[in-house]
Amino acid sequence: MDEILRIIPPQIQEKLRHLTIQEWDELQEIRLRIGRPIELIFSGHQQVLSEVIPSERDSQYVINQLGDYSIYRLEDELREGYITIAGGHRVGLAGKVNTEKGFVKAIRHISSFNIRIAREKIGVANEVVESLYEDCYRNTLLIGPPQTGKTTLLRDMARIISEGSNHLPSRKVGIIDERSEIAGSLHGVPQHQLGLRTDVMDACPKAEGMMMMIRSMSPEVLIVDEIGSKEDVKALMEAVYAGVTVISTVHGDSYDSVKHRPSLRPLFQNHVFERYIVLNEWDRSGFTRTLLNHQGQRIPLKKRCMANEMDRSTSPTVRYNVGRI
Amino acid sequence: MKWIGALLLLCATTWGGFEFARRLNERPKQIRQLKNALQVLEAEILYGQSPVIEACEKVAKQVPAPLAWFFEEFSASLKQSSSSLYDVWEDRLDRYWSISALGEGEKEIMKQFGQTLGQHDFAGQQKHIRLALSHLERELQEAQEQQQRYSKMVKSLGFLSGLLIILLFI
Repeated sequence: MDEILRIIPPQIQEKLRHLTIQEWDELQEIRLRIGRPIELIFSGHQQVLSEVIPSERDSQYVINQLGDYSIYRLEDELREGYITIAGGHRVGLAGKVNTEKGFVKAIRHISSFNIRIAREKIGVANEVVESLYEDCYRNTLLIGPPQTGKTTLLRDMARIISEGSNHLPSRKVGIIDERSEIAGSLHGVPQHQLGLRTDVMDACPKAEGMMMMIRSMSPEVLIVDEIGSKEDVKALMEAVYAGVTVISTVHGDSYDSVKHRPSLRPLFQNHVFERYIVLNEWDRSGFTRTLLNHQGQRIPLKKRCMANEMDRSTSPTVRYNVGRI
Repeated sequence: MKWIGALLLLCATTWGGFEFARRLNERPKQIRQLKNALQVLEAEILYGQSPVIEACEKVAKQVPAPLAWFFEEFSASLKQSSSSLYDVWEDRLDRYWSISALGEGEKEIMKQFGQTLGQHDFAGQQKHIRLALSHLERELQEAQEQQQRYSKMVKSLGFLSGLLIILLFI
């Protein structure tokens, strides 16, 4: 958590140090707004710290810490509206926007910061990847509304596919990370565990990036986030017909609603994807996932034991009733 | 006894005159070094795209001694401190000025430059460096003029004023 505390002004840092370990685990966002109390968003509830109110000076401090005292290095980031810091965490910015010829040039006079804490959940995709593998990895589309863990799942899938396991072969993975969310790259170096055989094209437009990746890095599995536009769909189909397995995500709450989106229609008409994973509301117990085959019919998730894992509760020796003694 | 006193006095005033002349001679040289340092900084920021801390470290390697200490200490203390860049800059500037031969005019220019360092995009940063450079150029001309006009005179003035005091005392 040091990489997050580093960018926060000292007096606010002091307050955050009072949080318990469990609270840190649940912390998702820290929101700083000039002249207004700090808001902490946990999974499930939020909390307002009204004792310290960030001032203009604090905003300056955060910006200086983010850019190593060098605003000129944040030119791209200030245009995009977010900054990735070490550890893959994201700082979203809002304030006065300067434009040039109708395009956003930079955000100046930043008044709101949203520090989004990135959590990699190693192992969330174990079962899913097992179900995607049938002689080879299958083209897969993850469907789900925002905040359901599509990207988290995608990231873990990349890790598992590139590392392989006892019954899953390892493959070369290419990631086109247009919004720098999958890898959370800092100066091109991924900050999350993505496996040994993974190459990342950071902040690259998807349509172009997929072609670049295929030409230059010869990936066997290509992972892209958030397909939506016609160009994305076209490039994705090109990639699939070039013999690369594609795993991607899309916003939507069910298979049927996504199927009827006009820009995505060619994908469904040509049966590009062979597996669909529909994610629903995230709760404390984990993701609710439904696996569908190429025609949208439900298939059960394969559940296999993890190799070499101790699993005491299913062992028959501890099953006898001790109450009688 | 009287003669020893007179000799000491003469030595002191002569030394004072030479010291003053040395400062006059040093000033244009140090302004030139400062200009050079800012040019290196500009290149580091614009072409190397390195952050202020790194850029100052590189500048420290390329400029001669007293000025190099300033940049070295500045980047080192910026790395550790949690206060703003300008506070650190001003603090280091004050310390450096006490050991250098530079005048108040240059100090004001450097202070103003410190306020803009790292606070703008590339184009803005370049403009501010250029502005500081042109101000320093003006100071340099003034310093050279002073050097030409006064440095020899100050040396002889030290010796002669010593002589005058001795004559008055005798």
